[in-house]
Amino acid sequence: MSTSIGQTNTHPTSSPFILQASSLSDHHRRLNTRPDIATTSNMRLIKQQVERDGSGAVTLYPEEPEDMWHAYNLIRVGDTLRASAVRRIVSESSTGSTSSSRVHMNLTITVDKVDFDSQAGQLHINGRIAEENKYVKIGAHHTLDLELNRNFTVGKAEWDSISLGVVKEACDPAEKAEIGAVVLHEGLANICLITEHMTVLRQRIDMSIPRKRTGSISAFEKAMDKFYETIFQSILRHLPIANLKVILLASPGFLAESLQKYIFAEAVKSDNKTIIGAKPKFVCVHCSTGHVHALNEVLKSPAVIARLADTKYAKETKAMESFFKMMQTDEDRAWYGPKEVERAIEKGAVATLLVSNSLFRSNNMNERRRYVQMVEDVKASGAGEVMILSSIHESGVRLDGLGGVAAILMFPLQDLDESDEEPVEGDEENSNL
Amino acid sequence: MSRHKNVRTMNLADELDDYDGEDDYFEEEEEGMSPADKARMADGLRQVREVVGDDVPALTDEKIEETLWYYYFDVPKTITYLLNSVGAIEKKKQKKTVAPESKGLTKGQKAEKSSSTTTAIQKGVEALKVADAEKTLPKVPRNKIDVVAEYEKSKSKRKENANLVVIGHVDAGKSTLMGRLLYDSGVVDERTIQKYKQEAEKIGKSSFALAWVLDQTGEERARGVTIDIAVNAFETEKGRFTILDAPGHRDFIPNMIAGAAQADFAVLVIDSSPGEFEAGFNIRGQTKEHALLVRSMGVQRIIVAVNKLDLMHWDQDRFEEIKQQMSQFLTTAGFQSKNISFIPCSGLTGDNIVRKPEDGLVSWYSGPTLVEELETAKPVIKAIEKPLRMTIADVYRGGVINPVTISGRIEIGNVQVGDTIFAVPGEEKAVIKGIEVDNQTVEWAVAGNNVQLHLAGIDMEHLKIGDVICQADNPLVPLKEFEAKILAFESLTPMMVDIHRGRLNASGRITKLVATLDKGNGSITKKKPRHIGPGSLAVVNITVTGAPLPLEKGSKIVLRADGLTVAAGVVE
Repeated sequence: MSTSIGQTNTHPTSSPFILQASSLSDHHRRLNTRPDIATTSNMRLIKQQVERDGSGAVTLYPEEPEDMWHAYNLIRVGDTLRASAVRRIVSESSTGSTSSSRVHMNLTITVDKVDFDSQAGQLHINGRIAEENKYVKIGAHHTLDLELNRNFTVGKAEWDSISLGVVKEACDPAEKAEIGAVVLHEGLANICLITEHMTVLRQRIDMSIPRKRTGSISAFEKAMDKFYETIFQSILRHLPIANLKVILLASPGFLAESLQKYIFAEAVKSDNKTIIGAKPKFVCVHCSTGHVHALNEVLKSPAVIARLADTKYAKETKAMESFFKMMQTDEDRAWYGPKEVERAIEKGAVATLLVSNSLFRSNNMNERRRYVQMVEDVKASGAGEVMILSSIHESGVRLDGLGGVAAILMFPLQDLDESDEEPVEGDEENSNL
Repeated sequence: MSRHKNVRTMNLADELDDYDGEDDYFEEEEEGMSPADKARMADGLRQVREVVGDDVPALTDEKIEETLWYYYFDVPKTITYLLNSVGAIEKKKQKKTVAPESKGLTKGQKAEKSSSTTTAIQKGVEALKVADAEKTLPKVPRNKIDVVAEYEKSKSKRKENANLVVIGHVDAGKSTLMGRLLYDSGVVDERTIQKYKQEAEKIGKSSFALAWVLDQTGEERARGVTIDIAVNAFETEKGRFTILDAPGHRDFIPNMIAGAAQADFAVLVIDSSPGEFEAGFNIRGQTKEHALLVRSMGVQRIIVAVNKLDLMHWDQDRFEEIKQQMSQFLTTAGFQSKNISFIPCSGLTGDNIVRKPEDGLVSWYSGPTLVEELETAKPVIKAIEKPLRMTIADVYRGGVINPVTISGRIEIGNVQVGDTIFAVPGEEKAVIKGIEVDNQTVEWAVAGNNVQLHLAGIDMEHLKIGDVICQADNPLVPLKEFEAKILAFESLTPMMVDIHRGRLNASGRITKLVATLDKGNGSITKKKPRHIGPGSLAVVNITVTGAPLPLEKGSKIVLRADGLTVAAGVVE
């Protein structure tokens, strides 16, 4: 079903910094439009220039909202960023009257703050101007909103393996599987879009449903009908059904099946060809609640694994699952928390290292280095596997709950947390560097 | 349609409490009337007048017209409403005689309802919105009853009221047993049962007929599984009981928790047929999970109904075997052995439930029937003098006169007509204008009662199932983060959990394992444990994912994850 738009991964264009007049005429998709065009596109690497000492710049061309997520993981405080911007320029004439005009230009800023809105897939970056031009002075503040289909260039003093890994991953042309998921229980439904790297909660529906009462169930049934209808409308509005690989309907009990029935009955009634055509894509799965974290349960169910085994999120979910299982069966082979895992790495015991990418977004350079070191150590040891989990997938949220880092060991180790009590809280960071 | 509803609710609330109304907005409504409506209005007015007579001073033409408008010219409804509101007793007789006459008329009129009314109504809504903004809480006379004193006084006269929850593994026969109990004690009449029997036979499930007394939704009947709790009441010579029939299927444990939170004691139903008891009793069976849940929610007394013994030919050995295994388990679960009793019975045949089994059928058993055993249950003493706390179990339209009604069980404190209450979380106040206990109107109610509260001055949107009702002068402060002392049933790490408290079902996260505690003396055995093993007592920090929850120190909570009950505990 997925419409593949033929795109190669790298396009070494000559100069990314030239403003193209045609692109000003604004035909590109806005950031906040739905990611409903292609499921196989990916960020394009325009130019990569990293010196021996690790400093350098990378120019990228984002094509879909998910690319903003990669950019969010790439751009750190202190980096330089060059992207197109619009700035309002006020000029004063000799008579004292002022006139303001909006000017398109390319600006280079030193990043102060990075803000990501996962709902809209937008990235806002605050910073100070680093390169002067005829309109703006150095040091003036500016907020760049990265836009789709426009180049941006990130400059870093130090490109570490993780940052380069993000670039590589972002530009990986592997086929991506986007799925839709609706988790619900009576009165609560969460409609999510799961892409390779993100889980976006598209809509949360919370309705008060009167309970069944002796002699009167009509209020209950009416409310349930309304509930299904709201979900159905919301699916139509928020999920790009034609592009999705699977649409999971998950609930405790029989709700998901009833919802599925409702959807197709409505689709036939309203002659909605998209839905009727997508019938095989709808899969009912069992889960225990309608809260978003039930996605963990959904993604590990056999029905889902059978269809989506090779996707990143399914692998992530599976890895987290095996960690928790290990915790229960052999607790000395499952450890979490930075210090404990660090010690396990020292001993060369780590079989699988799970790290949430939220840790690499830390603004504390030392802390970031510490985690980069952990990843590199495990990779260097040759025996261990490293998985970097996306912190906005449910499995990543789960990992973040454990402090963002966890490890499954090859052999049991005891008392990795032994000296826990001794150092004072504040010292911990430094003593471990 | 929703706008229509709005009009109705708003107006009724206004109407009931504020008789003179605001004349200006009536005029505006009138302007929007189509000629057809006007004709119907005149017609309706004439009909109402015929019935009510011209001699009632409280009923002005205006008032009748206005009421007609709300009911879309439905004459009988209008009359009923008007007469009720006037409250004249002798008029009630008239109403009875007249209502059937006008029925024929109504049907025709309903069909006529034209689309032209919608525009008029929209105008009306706008007018109302202006009026609404200035509206304060309606006044309901408060009799300032000293509820605690009244309660003490009435104690001797009244039968004790007890709430019991019926629990057990799926298909143990809980609903059938309760259906039987209601049928044999006369709450459900013969005709209804016959009807259910016929309908059940039609879909080939004749043995489910009794369960249909409680399983009323289409889904429940088609699948033969209880999904949500059903609340019913019955009375014996010695006591009054509210029964909460809980679902046994593991997917609906949240509903079962809601039921158990309203109960004083529990009836655990066990399927005694071969293999079935064992299925319910194994590690993932609901017999165990339910028993642990009700215990951790504070239920102390449990009656084990060993059901379906007719299939076992009333085999004493089987009964003893189950009894022995169950009492061992229940004791370890924390029930005192004096609070556990066992009753052999059959829900399908009705033996030993309300009536004694037929002679000679169960020669080895001479103990009480299930109902007799229920009667011996001592009421639990409740803190009725403390500030009010009640979790909303249901919000619905309680009828024409009561547009907003909530139900639930008062956990602590007391309530009386005229009280101003808060629904937490939320800033909205409401006034109680009527209280019903087991479908009987009362002036006040105390902790332990399963009540329906009719409210005024609040919209349904502001009330959510799971909110807690408090007195306005002593509200509860909802929590975003809290510490809880818990008993773990499964292995716990920092993780996402569902927080349940009665009907409340919210998502949260265990952020920190503070310490594990010694079960005997409560002293700390390990600080900052890495994980908490099943069966251990621990203190954890929990953060709520969404909006703050109406919890306070002492609230009993249940934590679930991945379809399992992982822990139960108390907010510290």
